[in-house]
Amino acid sequence: MKKLALILASLMLTSTLTACGGSDVGKNGTLNLFTWEGMFPEEVLTEFEETTGIDINYVNFDYDETMLMKLQAAEGGDYDLIIADDYIIETAIAEGLVQKLDKTKIPSIGNVNPLYQGQFYDPTDEYTVPYGAGVQTIVYNPANVTTPIEGYADLWNSALADSVGIISNYRVINGMALKVLGKSYNTTETADITAAGTKLNELAPNIRLIKDDYIQDDLLSGEIDAAVMYTSQVTMAKMTDPSLEIVYPEEGIGFGIMAMFVPSKAPNADAAHKFIEFILDPERGAKCYEYLGYYCTASASEPYIAEEYRSFLTLPAEFSRDNMEMIENITPEADDAHIAVWTEFKGLCE
Amino acid sequence: MKKFRKRSLIYPVVMTVLTYLPILIVAVYSFNESKLSSRWDGFSLKWYAELFRDDSILEALGNSVFLGVTSSVLAAVIATAAALGMAKSNLPLKQWVEKLALLPLIIPEIVLGMVFLAFFSLLGLPFGMLTLIIAHTAFCIPYIYTEVAAALESLDYSAIEAARDLGAGRLTAFFTVTLPMLSPAIISGMFLSFAMSFDDVIISIFVTGVSVNTLPIKVYTQIKTGLSPKINALCTIMLAVSVLCLTVAGMIKKRRENREE
Amino acid sequence: MTRKNRRTATLAVLPMYLFSLVFIAGPLVYMLVLSFMTRDTFGFTDTFTLENYRKIFDEVYFKTFLESLKLAAVSTAAVILIGYPFGLSAALLPPKYAKFFRTAQMIPYFVNSLLRLVGWIILFRANGLLDKVLMALGITDEPLKLLYTYPAVVVGMIYVLLPFMFLSVYQVAEKLDLTLVEAARDLGAGKVRAFLSVTLPLTMPGLKTGIILTFIPSMGLFFIASILGGNKVVLIGSLIEEQLMRAHNQPFAAALSVVLMLLTGVVCGLLMKKRRDV
Repeated sequence: MKKLALILASLMLTSTLTACGGSDVGKNGTLNLFTWEGMFPEEVLTEFEETTGIDINYVNFDYDETMLMKLQAAEGGDYDLIIADDYIIETAIAEGLVQKLDKTKIPSIGNVNPLYQGQFYDPTDEYTVPYGAGVQTIVYNPANVTTPIEGYADLWNSALADSVGIISNYRVINGMALKVLGKSYNTTETADITAAGTKLNELAPNIRLIKDDYIQDDLLSGEIDAAVMYTSQVTMAKMTDPSLEIVYPEEGIGFGIMAMFVPSKAPNADAAHKFIEFILDPERGAKCYEYLGYYCTASASEPYIAEEYRSFLTLPAEFSRDNMEMIENITPEADDAHIAVWTEFKGLCE
Repeated sequence: MKKFRKRSLIYPVVMTVLTYLPILIVAVYSFNESKLSSRWDGFSLKWYAELFRDDSILEALGNSVFLGVTSSVLAAVIATAAALGMAKSNLPLKQWVEKLALLPLIIPEIVLGMVFLAFFSLLGLPFGMLTLIIAHTAFCIPYIYTEVAAALESLDYSAIEAARDLGAGRLTAFFTVTLPMLSPAIISGMFLSFAMSFDDVIISIFVTGVSVNTLPIKVYTQIKTGLSPKINALCTIMLAVSVLCLTVAGMIKKRRENREE
Repeated sequence: MTRKNRRTATLAVLPMYLFSLVFIAGPLVYMLVLSFMTRDTFGFTDTFTLENYRKIFDEVYFKTFLESLKLAAVSTAAVILIGYPFGLSAALLPPKYAKFFRTAQMIPYFVNSLLRLVGWIILFRANGLLDKVLMALGITDEPLKLLYTYPAVVVGMIYVLLPFMFLSVYQVAEKLDLTLVEAARDLGAGKVRAFLSVTLPLTMPGLKTGIILTFIPSMGLFFIASILGGNKVVLIGSLIEEQLMRAHNQPFAAALSVVLMLLTGVVCGLLMKKRRDV
């Protein structure tokens, strides 16, 4: 009994210590890295700690919005380096929560693929360095889908009843209907959005599931026959089952970029710059992108990507800035219309 | 005493089996060589090895235990004292404050999480263990308060008076008579509180800071990145540990009861 | 003496008093204020508006409220029907057995609820365990596709919420004076009448606690709808989550929360009030 109490007490003590301490472990300070789970292979993080003597404190968030709320609550402090999606970075910059990068500390900045630079969220590349990009892609299982799929419009085919999976991002999915109607992802005309809603509602009988995470598992296990998914999921699905078909929808490509930025009051901005430089190393970057499964945003890393991954991690040559469109922040009214359309659609799917 | 019929065991047994069926399935697949639960590739312990290589999970477990114990003890002290004093105190609006303290019971977790985050940042509190403890104590208090208040209603006041008549001081009477009589209620409230705290994802995600991850947060983020049998292994270990703890606790209690007899 | 008593009592209440005022009233007032603010592109501005509340009555959101209430009602009813007899029958067993069943229901509390739900995914998924068993037995000949359906969500709800009902009922039934039931039977009451006139009223407080602990979470457990329902079943909880996490419309999320709290408050109030009448 006493022993048990002792074990419990020591357990509590260690956890208090880890809870209170944590900041003075690394001899060259700590890098508070705030991003999703699973963004870097373990060995790259360890290598960084070993070569620089900086301890990495890897903190996760689930959604971009959680990140923004926490960054707002910390008033731009607490975190040293954040990786998040394009549109939320625009918001963070607008709120003054991001600091300009010191390019002299990032000599390898030239390794970045210019295709992913100068985008809406950071037009002059003062605040961000991209880390991974993706396009919305349709993947289907040719064994169960007899009519070929070439674009979004084909998902409306009644032969696909109750067998389509989609990611849970209303701008992407509503955008699918907008694209079928020949509109822009970023239209602010509520009439267009409502029309897309009417179109989307017709898709409801085909929808089996709506989710962001491990949707590829459902495709692999036969739960669904076709899915609209993110690039990392496409990579994982294809690596497991090469017979799956990938479709870049003919209506147009929507793409998104993840990028690294340093919060305005980052306690250790220097370490953050070091980390960015570290990741931009071509060979190391290649390792990261193989692990991440998103398109490689550093041209210099592309040659180092292993053969079996290369086709998944580099954007097909036929795509350029002219035929791709990013999902941007829109007016509150348009966004409200999107949410209403999305809520109604989900209600109909069941 | 009415005769006990074996037949009356059927329903509880069936329900208990159903309760454990999904957990056992998870446990079985934690020994699966394959990463996919749709396939069985033979017995393997590799997911356990992978789990134990993950320091962050063990650290998160430590944090969760500390958080659960601290907030349920804090809540127990605050709630028991309040329940005892509520009737006699003369604080203004005390009935309303009582209702207020119970409110977290009926507020969806996501709402609590959001308002705590906004409010703590308004107060300028540093996010981390402190904010976690405040938030968890807030939702633990109602569980203990309702239990203790209910126990007080059926409390045998004559025993306390008898102790006082026999010359026991107020403190002595409280510690030797009142508290032991309330302890089952306090303990069951604390138990529930600990369980709630130990399982909470949503509120914790909002109010935690840079350096503190709890186990549920870890599990949640892992589940979101894909169902790995590593998670199954964690589930199996948690099950084994709770079975072990409750069995040991039961045995200790039994031994003490035997000794008292 | 009484004054001293009173002072001790006041001191005892003070911690909870202050804690509740600062850490519960404070955040809630903030939420109320937030619900009257106006959203803009990157967040919200402090312009007063009733728009957030008006919007709840838009058909699409109002329907979500009704749907969510329906799911909560269905889940709660199922939990009552399954959990009440479970708690009661377990509590009335000889102590040795009764304690075993109680402990058995307590253990899952310590296993993360998300982890426990994973078991149902393995069971329900297409060509999963259940399909394999049923097909092997020749009962069905193709996958049932149970995962990502409404019933799957209800099963998940029942599974997560059942222990609350069990323990609430058990706690009350454990102290049940069986001689009263026997007396009723001796006086010629049938089994059903003895149950309705003695057992049920005596265990009512436990049942009511169980209902509260089941009904309220079932409006907000969005992760069950997401994991087992494929996000097609929209709860108020999911709606709030989405407003908060995706649409970054905090004022509307706050307004939804206020209404949800009022709703659950009314339900609890009704149950609590009746308890006092008994």
